[in-house]
Amino acid sequence: MTIGVLMYCFDTPDINYHRLAERCVAQIRKYLKLEITIVTDLETFKKFRPMGMINYKLVEAKTTNTRPYRGKSIAWYNKERALAYEHSPYDTTILMDCDYFVFSSTLLELANTEFDMMLHDRVHDLTGHNMISGEDESTLPLVWATVTLFKKTTNTEAIFSMIKHVQEYYTHYRNLYRIRYPNYRNDYAFAIALHQLNLGNRIPTPMTMLADRVDVVDSDEDGIVFKHGDAVNFTSGQDVHVMDKEWCNG
Amino acid sequence: MDIGNIKKHSDLNFEVAQAKRNALEKLRSRQLLAYNERLFMADANTINLVSTLKQHSKDFYVLDVNDNPCHVNDPDDFLIKLIERNQETLNAYQQLHQDLAKKRK
Repeated sequence: MTIGVLMYCFDTPDINYHRLAERCVAQIRKYLKLEITIVTDLETFKKFRPMGMINYKLVEAKTTNTRPYRGKSIAWYNKERALAYEHSPYDTTILMDCDYFVFSSTLLELANTEFDMMLHDRVHDLTGHNMISGEDESTLPLVWATVTLFKKTTNTEAIFSMIKHVQEYYTHYRNLYRIRYPNYRNDYAFAIALHQLNLGNRIPTPMTMLADRVDVVDSDEDGIVFKHGDAVNFTSGQDVHVMDKEWCNG
Repeated sequence: MDIGNIKKHSDLNFEVAQAKRNALEKLRSRQLLAYNERLFMADANTINLVSTLKQHSKDFYVLDVNDNPCHVNDPDDFLIKLIERNQETLNAYQQLHQDLAKKRK
């Protein structure tokens, strides 16, 4: 049984995602010690600094999507994730956004259990201001696709086939589930697929997050220091999804 | 106490309460324990359940966090793992709790 981490990383005109991925790789090496595969495009691949043994898969990303970020609408190349089942070379895959940073071995505990697909359905905002609740944004039980653990089973194959279908007919499903946002989001595509197929396990603890309005001002191997308004706080030994996309730019 | 000091006091209390909430989320996350391919929380409920069932039988079934049954055929080993993880997380939380208490003084 093989187990590894799969990441999707495409630089956009606004965001250097490869910098986030480099930091993410360092954290995975320290805390999870797993093989890593990065799906990227040629342009982004050329920008990666040498990181040792990494499996790269080069694809051409769909560039038709956008997202809001700090008051602007920016490009968002997030549609390839629907192909994770085909792209993953592992029996058990930890599919992870490159802005999710591990500071503990918790994901290994989850990976060592029996499931088809497992993801978060709740979040914990470290600032205490509940900026990312995800409530009242659709009629759907929301899940977060930021970290998705899956095994290569018939059920999972069906889930990913459904995700591809949802992506293709997203306007229909968006209307069906009254999703507020017009852009394509993997969180919703995964949630719709799981809802339609009545599958998937939930990670029992919430995903720790920092919204894009929160700046990361410092970090080390054990945690990060973040600033929101006048308040400065830090994390230690706690995995965190950081939505500030610029903190690794130096 | 003037309004400026009350505001400072309120900000400090918010900060301390939030630090406590964050530490508790970290504690719960670290209490996740894989055992026989099932997922458990190494919390007081699980420890008490396993400890009680162990007194009546050498092997038994318990439900994991996803309500899947798990066959426990070595309760001593399971209980040791649960207690170790539980105390490891509580020790870390206790240290932070002490720091917060100092901050409040």
